[in-house]
Amino acid sequence: MEMPQAPVQDFPAYRDVGVSKEAQSHLAQMDGRYRGLLEAAPDAMVVVNQGGEIVILNLQAEKKFGYHRDELLGQKVTNIIPEGFAERLYADGLRSAEDALAQQIDTGIELTGRRKDGTAFPIEIMLSPLESTEGVLVTAAIRDISVRRRADRVLAQMEERYRGLLEAAPDAMVVVNQGGEIIILNLQAEKKFGYRRDELLGQQVTNIIPEGFAERLRLDETRTADEALAQQIDTGIELTGRRKDGSAFPIEIMLSPLDSAEGILVTAAIRDITVRRQAESHLAQMEGRYRGLLEAAPDAMVVVNKTGEIVILNLQAEKKFGYRRDELLGQQVTNIIPDGFAERLLLDETRTADEALAQQIDTGIELTGRRKDGSDFPIEIMLSPLESPEGILVTAAIRDITVRRKAEKTLALLEGQYRGLLEAAPDAMVVVNQTGEIVILNLQAEKKFGYRRDELLGQQVTNIVPDGFAERLHADGLRSAEDALAQQIDTGIELTGLRKDGSEFPIEIMLSPLESAEETLVTAAIRDISVRKDAETHLLQKVEELRKSNEELEQFAYLASHDLQEPLRMVTSYTQLLARRYKGKLDTDADEFIAYAVDGATRMQRLIQDLLAYSRVGANEGNLAETSSEEALQRALANLRGAIEETGAIVTNDSLPMVLADEGQLVQLFQNLVGNAIKYQNKGVPEVHVSAEVYGRKKWIFAVKDNGLGIERQYFERIFGMFQRLHKREEFAGTGVGLAICKKIVERHGGTISVESQPGMGSTFRFILASSE
Amino acid sequence: MTAMPVGRAGPEIVTVLLVEDSPGDVRLTREAFRQANPTIVMHVATDGVEAMDFLLKEGAHALSPRPDLILLDLNLPRMDGREVLARIKSDDGLKTIPTMILTTSQSDVDIAKAYQLGANCYLTKPVQLDAFDALVASIVDFWVTKVRLAQKAKHG
Repeated sequence: MEMPQAPVQDFPAYRDVGVSKEAQSHLAQMDGRYRGLLEAAPDAMVVVNQGGEIVILNLQAEKKFGYHRDELLGQKVTNIIPEGFAERLYADGLRSAEDALAQQIDTGIELTGRRKDGTAFPIEIMLSPLESTEGVLVTAAIRDISVRRRADRVLAQMEERYRGLLEAAPDAMVVVNQGGEIIILNLQAEKKFGYRRDELLGQQVTNIIPEGFAERLRLDETRTADEALAQQIDTGIELTGRRKDGSAFPIEIMLSPLDSAEGILVTAAIRDITVRRQAESHLAQMEGRYRGLLEAAPDAMVVVNKTGEIVILNLQAEKKFGYRRDELLGQQVTNIIPDGFAERLLLDETRTADEALAQQIDTGIELTGRRKDGSDFPIEIMLSPLESPEGILVTAAIRDITVRRKAEKTLALLEGQYRGLLEAAPDAMVVVNQTGEIVILNLQAEKKFGYRRDELLGQQVTNIVPDGFAERLHADGLRSAEDALAQQIDTGIELTGLRKDGSEFPIEIMLSPLESAEETLVTAAIRDISVRKDAETHLLQKVEELRKSNEELEQFAYLASHDLQEPLRMVTSYTQLLARRYKGKLDTDADEFIAYAVDGATRMQRLIQDLLAYSRVGANEGNLAETSSEEALQRALANLRGAIEETGAIVTNDSLPMVLADEGQLVQLFQNLVGNAIKYQNKGVPEVHVSAEVYGRKKWIFAVKDNGLGIERQYFERIFGMFQRLHKREEFAGTGVGLAICKKIVERHGGTISVESQPGMGSTFRFILASSE
Repeated sequence: MTAMPVGRAGPEIVTVLLVEDSPGDVRLTREAFRQANPTIVMHVATDGVEAMDFLLKEGAHALSPRPDLILLDLNLPRMDGREVLARIKSDDGLKTIPTMILTTSQSDVDIAKAYQLGANCYLTKPVQLDAFDALVASIVDFWVTKVRLAQKAKHG
């Protein structure tokens, strides 16, 4: 059994041993004198002579090494410490007592001890000289450091994982092995118990928690980690801790298992509950009198007995009336509330608790309170009975209404100040306090909502703006005035207003805070947006009508051009049949007439085809997909093969990108642009080049460049219009729809088209399309 | 019984049924066929009901021949071309007759619908006379001269 820390420093008492006589008797004498001290030492102690023989040893030495005392006395110390000790005897024997004193056991020599059974264990020895008649003897304090060694290992293992956690813990933490030895502890544990870490490591936990902990180790080690986790420290075991100085203090420990290579360790979080205990005992005293409740109350509270004496009061009451608690306890309540309270005691004590509950403090009795310094202040009190063994007491909740009174005045002042402004405002204005009550309103508000002013003042704003306003009061009450200013009425909140007659109308409100002495009020400018809403609805209707009409128009264009083809075919076909069969068989006039008819019908047919193409661009919207512009160009060129071969045109292109497009329309776009480039030429060989470059973010700009006639600047816009032609029919056939189709296609794709040209220098048509990425 | 190739060279006369309500178109088509192959016999039905009567040999058409080819317009009085097509292609006796849509409609919807109903091909009428003649010539060249058709069913 190890003892609670008989301090090792005391040991050098052996130094004081005086001049010896005869060895044996001396030893016996020494033995007698110091036996008690030796045995009290927590460490094994052996005294060895210069011959290396053991001359004295204590119980711990017997236990540690597993010998009976008589088996060791007179034996060589090498039997129990084979190496490193005997060799030092000489050297160490010569050290002065002062040197020995300076040498702390903790800075001792680490060696190996051997038990009777032959097993070895790590030890640390501290040697000190002991003068005697037989010469200098050497006292060796031998500490078994197995646990410490093991702890060191465990500690090393756990260091990474738990050290930070341990030290961060607000509680003292000790980790104990199954033998009850402390193997890890944190700084808080050192502080709480007043030990240095090394004084506790390897020691029994009973040194610091004498009872109730070690006994639980067996029990707790078998608990699962989950069970341990479930156990909160606040529901822990209450025990007593003991400091190094012997003083005790209440602790609460929470145990949890910690698996390690050494087996299950137990972690104990130890909380000093001295303060809590004190608080608890105090609370226990107050329990019967609702102390907790009283102190939590925002109002001053006093409990008065039938004779008008104050028996309990809270902190707020002390503050409000400027007295210390002991100055009021037992005093007449008339000292602090001169009139109107004591007189009511008889009356009110008879009310039931339910009646009291029903009475709101805001509907209480307004009286005057008097402070210790003699000054008065307005109060409102609410009385309720409190059953007690001494009879019915009366609890009075006392609210200081100075601020409210002031606020009422402020409000009156505010009203005066802002009335003019309010009434001048074009919108309905209401000022609302934080509980949602309307405190000010203007004429427009009366008119808009159909109430008289007095019907609204003091009422909840939800009466006129049922949803969305009151909910915002808190948030908006907290906004700074600057934030509110930044919020324009046009960016206000759209809600619904409710008139007195129950009808609703759309409103827009703009909230801004209004600081007053008591609280932040919220000013709401309420605009009737019925007209605007109607206008919006009207606009939406018009937009829809327009969209429909546009759709119908496109449909009409498509159907018309389609159905027009049928009779046109007849005209065309039969004039051509006429021409074929009778050309040269009638007179020259007839030939000419037929030629005009054929030409007219052919042009009309082309026009209808172009119109059809134009209306089709609008018909299939929203079919944009990843499309290869390269392939689209090649298809367009295939369609233009006749014209290309006929003119010998050279059409080249750079590598072209993937774009987001309707493929058919993209083909048509290239076909029209390249077709134009080939068509509008002098007699030379048409050269057309198609290229594309990245344009801004995720866009491409395409260019179709030719060496053709070119276009005068004044026509740059016009050529994209419907039926716009720059050339006589005799020069170039065409309907004037081709570029209009191009423009429509590009715009359908969200892009733009433009031309850059000089007469005689060729033209470059550019259009922008979105990339397919 | 061996399948007999239908063609100009064969002993049988090739007959075509044109379903078309416009007399102008009928005449143009007739002229074009004559130019392509004067031996082809062209019958005309001017609406969908008459076309079905002709094909099913009903009423006044009890003695009608089974045509080798059908040219069908889409927009017809009484029963439109789409329904005529649907009936032809759901009739076991008629569905083997190549049926071509010949119309002015260039609508994608019409094209898709026609093929869904089993049209053998969809042709738009060219406006220019030369182009129309060329189209009819290619019909004759392909469907009458080159294609091998199923043997005529004994119908009626």
